[in-house]
Amino acid sequence: MKGNIEFVKENDGKEIERILHPLVREWFFSKFEDFSLTQLYGVKRINDRRNILVSAATGGTKTLTAFLSILNYLVTLSLKNELENKVYAVYCSPLKALSNDVAVNLISPLREISGLAEKKNLKMQEIRVGLRTGDTETKERVKMLKKVPHILVTTPETLAIVLTSRKFVEHLEKLEYLVVDEVHALTNKRGVYLSLTLERLSAMCLFEPVRIGLSATISPLEEIAKFLVGSERDCLIADVKLVKGIDISLNFPGENILEAESSESQKELYKILDGIVEKYRTTLIFTNTRNAAERVIHHLESRFRGKYQGLLGAHHSSMSKDKRFEIEERLRKGELKAVISSTSLELGIDIGSIDFVVLLKSPKSVARALQRIGRAGHKLHDNPKGMFIVLDRDDLVECGVLMKGMVEKKIDGADIPKNALDVLAQQIYGMAITKVWNVDEMLRIIRKSYCYESLTKEDFFSVVSYLAGDYALEHRHVYAKIWYDLEKGEIGKKGKLARVIYMTNLGTIPSESFIRVVVSSPEERKGLEIGKIDEGFLERMKRGDVFVLGGQKYQYLYSRGMKAYVKADISKNPTIPSWFSEMLPLSFDSAVEVGKFRKFVSERMKDKKDCVDFIKTYLYCDGNVALEIYEYFDEQRKFSKIPDCERLLVEKFKEEKEYLVFHSVYGRRVNDALSRAYGYAAARIRTRDVEVGISDNGFFIAGEKLDEKKIIDFVNSKNILEILKESIERSDILKRRFRHCAGRSLMILRNYKGREKSAGRQQVHSEFLYSSVKKISNEFCILREARREVMEDLMDIENAKKVLKLIDLNKIKVEVVRTPLVSPFGLGLVTQGRTDLIKMEDKAKFLKRMHELHLKIIEGKKDI
Amino acid sequence: MNLEFIGKCLLIETEGRRILVVGDLHLGYEEYLNRTGVFVGREMFKEVLNYFESVFAETGNVDEVVFLGDVKHDFGKMMRQEVNDVEELFSYILQKCRRIVVVRGNHDAILEPILRVIENTELRESYCVGEVCFFHGNKKSEEVENKKIKFWIMGHGHPAVKLSEPGGVKREKFKCFLKGRFKGREVLIVPSFFEGNEGSDPRENDLGFAFDFNLNKFEVLIVGENLEVFEFGPLSRL
Repeated sequence: MKGNIEFVKENDGKEIERILHPLVREWFFSKFEDFSLTQLYGVKRINDRRNILVSAATGGTKTLTAFLSILNYLVTLSLKNELENKVYAVYCSPLKALSNDVAVNLISPLREISGLAEKKNLKMQEIRVGLRTGDTETKERVKMLKKVPHILVTTPETLAIVLTSRKFVEHLEKLEYLVVDEVHALTNKRGVYLSLTLERLSAMCLFEPVRIGLSATISPLEEIAKFLVGSERDCLIADVKLVKGIDISLNFPGENILEAESSESQKELYKILDGIVEKYRTTLIFTNTRNAAERVIHHLESRFRGKYQGLLGAHHSSMSKDKRFEIEERLRKGELKAVISSTSLELGIDIGSIDFVVLLKSPKSVARALQRIGRAGHKLHDNPKGMFIVLDRDDLVECGVLMKGMVEKKIDGADIPKNALDVLAQQIYGMAITKVWNVDEMLRIIRKSYCYESLTKEDFFSVVSYLAGDYALEHRHVYAKIWYDLEKGEIGKKGKLARVIYMTNLGTIPSESFIRVVVSSPEERKGLEIGKIDEGFLERMKRGDVFVLGGQKYQYLYSRGMKAYVKADISKNPTIPSWFSEMLPLSFDSAVEVGKFRKFVSERMKDKKDCVDFIKTYLYCDGNVALEIYEYFDEQRKFSKIPDCERLLVEKFKEEKEYLVFHSVYGRRVNDALSRAYGYAAARIRTRDVEVGISDNGFFIAGEKLDEKKIIDFVNSKNILEILKESIERSDILKRRFRHCAGRSLMILRNYKGREKSAGRQQVHSEFLYSSVKKISNEFCILREARREVMEDLMDIENAKKVLKLIDLNKIKVEVVRTPLVSPFGLGLVTQGRTDLIKMEDKAKFLKRMHELHLKIIEGKKDI
Repeated sequence: MNLEFIGKCLLIETEGRRILVVGDLHLGYEEYLNRTGVFVGREMFKEVLNYFESVFAETGNVDEVVFLGDVKHDFGKMMRQEVNDVEELFSYILQKCRRIVVVRGNHDAILEPILRVIENTELRESYCVGEVCFFHGNKKSEEVENKKIKFWIMGHGHPAVKLSEPGGVKREKFKCFLKGRFKGREVLIVPSFFEGNEGSDPRENDLGFAFDFNLNKFEVLIVGENLEVFEFGPLSRL
C-alpha cells in the first residue's frame, strides 16, 4: 500500500477563524493582525488531522502554524475540564537550543490565554509543556511521570530514550500529534534514525498520531513528505511561497580577485565588512568554518580598535551551550551589531531581527543560501537582504550560479540515506529492550519507514545475527545484545545492562577524536592551536612534511598524545596534500549549472562586451563581477581549453609527479566516486599507489607515471560500481567511515559499565578495528554499511553512473590536453582538493623496493 | 656475543647459550577492547602462535627465551580466557626451550601470580648474562648500569619508521630495530611483537626511555615479511 502525496493551496482566513475557540481567537487577534500565509496553508489541515509537510522559507510562522490547532484543541479540552494526564503532542527538533526556544514560545501563549480566561472568569485546567533533552535533570524527569506534560518538547535522541523508559511510555499511548521541526536538517543518518523512532512510537500508540513536518525550503518535497510520514501513509504538502523577492548581490574585495589573499585585499575585505556592519542595525556573517568565524571577529576587532568593543559575537557548534545561548539572547535584545557564525545559526533558532546577511565563501547549495539569507528580514513582509563575498575565482563563478538559482528559485535536491544498517542495529536493540518481538512484526514496522521500505530480509537478519553475537562464536557472551529464537521467531534483549547501554550510547553523530595541531615555533606563537586533523592523516605524515591547514602552510615536527606540533611561517611547497575535514559538497544540481554556465560563456568569448553583458544578465551580477569572470575564463581559454558540461577536459602536466586534472564539474560527491574509479585504474595499470584529490569542480590523480589513455578507457558506466568497491577497500576513507558506523551500531561503546571513555581512550585505531572485523567476515553487515555509506552518502554513485553513461554515449566528450603546468581552472583544484591514497603496491614489495633504492644511494656515494 | 635477526625477534649466542629475545607482546589487547565495550574478534593469539611457529622453524630449539616486558596489555584484572592464553603460549614455548625469563615491563604487574605457577619461568626486573643485559627500558637500575655490562637489549619503545619514496606518494610504517651506542655500551632496541599497530617513529614521537639516547645516530633495521630484516643505515639519513 502506497500513501498519497498531495499539494494543497491556502484556506480562507474565515475558515480558520471558525475553527478557533472564541478564547483562542481573541488571543490570536490581540497578538496578530491576521493569519500568516503559512497559517492559511496549515492550520485547518492540522485541525482536520491530516498529515502535512509545511515547507516555507525561514522567517515564516511555521511553529505557530503547527501549534495553533493543537493549542486550540487543548484549550477547548481544558475549558471543558476534559484534559487528561497524558501526552497529546510531541514536538521534536534536531536542535537543543530550539527546543528551549519553543518551550518559551509555547509557554507564553498559554499563559496569555489562561490570563484571558481568568479575566472572563472561565475555569481552565493547566496545560503543561515539558522540555526533555539530554540536559534534563532526573528530578524534572521524575516530575514528568506524575504531572505528565501535555506537550512534550524533545530532540530525536531523547525521544528514542523516552521510548525505552518503561514508565513514561504509558503516557504516550494516546498521543495525537507528532510535530517534527527542521525536517530539512534531517536528510542524514540522524533523520534516518528519527524515522525509525517515529515508527516505533506510532506502533505503540493506540491510534496513529497526526504527523506534522516543518521545513525550510527544500527539494524534492514529495520525497521529504514520504520521509516524514513513511511509505504507507498519506501526506499533504504545503509549499508556502512566502518570499516575493530577494535582495542579494555578489562582491569580492580588491580590484583583482587573484590578489584576494593579499594583505591589500584582506584590508579591502574588512573595509567592506565594516561598511556593512556599520550601515545595518544587525548583521549576520556566515563563514562555513569555525576557524574562519574566529578569524573574522579577531580582524574586525583589531583593525577597528575600540569600535566594536562588546558588539560582536561568535556562534558555532563547538561553543558551549551557555555561551551560544548568551549570544542568542543578546541578539534578540538587539545588543550586538554583528554575529559571525560557521553554520550553527542556519537553523531556525529565533534570533530576533537581522537586517543583513553576509555569506563569506560559497554556501554550496541554493537551499542553504536561501536558508542563510532568510535569517534577514525575519519580519514577515520584508525581503531578505544579503551579499555573497568571495575570495577566489572559482567561488565567484559558483556563488554567481547559486545566486541565479536563488533568484529563479531553483532548489537543489537533497538525498536521504536508505537501508542504513548501523542505524538499524541501534534501533533493533532499542526495540528489543522494550519487549519480546515477533520477528515479522518487527520487520513490518521497520519497513514502514521511508528509509527502510526496501530493506531485504537478508539485510535485516544479518543485523539481527550481529546483535545476537553469532559472529563471535565462543565469545558470544561478550557481544550478544539480543537473543533470537529461530523456531518461535522471537527477538528480545540480553543482559541486565541493556537499557543502560542503549540509553548512554544512542545517537548517530560520530564521536570523532581529532589530533589537535599546535604551533611549536616561532616562539611568539608557541602553543597556539591552529586546527584539527584526522588520525589517519597524521599517520601518513612524516617529520618535515609541509602541509596546508586553513589556508596556511605548516611543517610537521612531532606529536605527543593527541597533539601534533608544527612550525609555522613556511615558504616551502607542500610535500603532502592538504587534509580538509569533510567539507560541505557543492550539490550535483548546482555543479551541473556551473558546467552549463561555462558552456554558455565559452560560446560567447569572442566578443568581450557581448560576453560580459551576457554574464551580467545570466547571473544577475554587476559589471565588475562579470568582467572578472570573463577574464578568468579568458586566461583558461588561452592557456588550455574551457571545460564545460559537454567537454570533460583532462589536463596532463608534470611536476615532481605526473598529474592528470579532470575538470568534471559535478560536485564533490560525484567527483569523489569518479576520482577513485579513475585513480584505481591508474594504480592498477602500473601497480603503484596513486594520490587522488577531489573538489567540486573536478579531481586530480597524481603518481609517478600516468597512462592517461588507458586510464580513461578503463572506466565506464557498467563497471564503475565494481571498480569503486575495489578502490575504496584500498583507501583511508572506508576505514574512517567504518569507525563511525561501528560507533552507531554499538560495536564501539562510548559509555560502558559506567565508564565514559575520553576521546583518547575511545581511539581504537581504525586500521586495527577494520582489519579485525574483516577477519570475522568480509561481508559483515556493518562493514557493508560502511561501504554503502561511502558510496551512496559520502559519494554519489548514482549520478556518477549517469555522467559515465553520457561519456559512453559520447554526449560528454573527454579531451586530453598537455599543459606545461597547472592551468588557471586547475589551480584551485590542485591546491585545495581533499585527498586520499589508493594503495595498490603491496607493503612488502614497497619495502624491498625502498631497500634497493637505499642500497643504490649508498653505492652511489661509495663511487664518489 | 653473536647476534641474528629473526623477523621481529632476536637470536643471541653468548656464554654458550642460545637465547631468543621477544619484544613487547601485549597479549589480551582484544580482550581489553572487549572489556571497554569494543566489538573485535579474537584473532591475535592465533597469529602470535603462528609467528612463533615460523621463528622456531628457523632457529630450532633454543636454550632460553627472554621476553622484554609488557607481555600483557592490560593493567587491570585478567579474565580466565587470558590466563589460559598466557599458559598456552608459555607451555608451547617451553617445548622449544629450557627456560623462560620475563623482564618486568610497565604493563606486567598482574603477571606475577601466573608466572609463579608455570615451571621453568622466571620474572625479573632485568636479566644479565655475561656482558649482556636484558631489560624493559622504562626504568634505570644499578644492575643494568653495572660497569661490566657492554650490551643493552630492551623493548618498551615500540620503534617503527615511516618510509616514503622521494617524489612518490606512498608512505608506510614498518617495525624496526634500532641499534646504536650509549655511554660506551651497545644498545639494541627491539620492536614490539604486538600486531595491533606498527609502533612509533622516533623522529616524531618520544619513545619514553629512561635514557637520553641520541636515536638519530642509531642504525635502522626494518622488519619485513618472511622473517627478513633490511638494513637502512642511520635514522638521521633515512
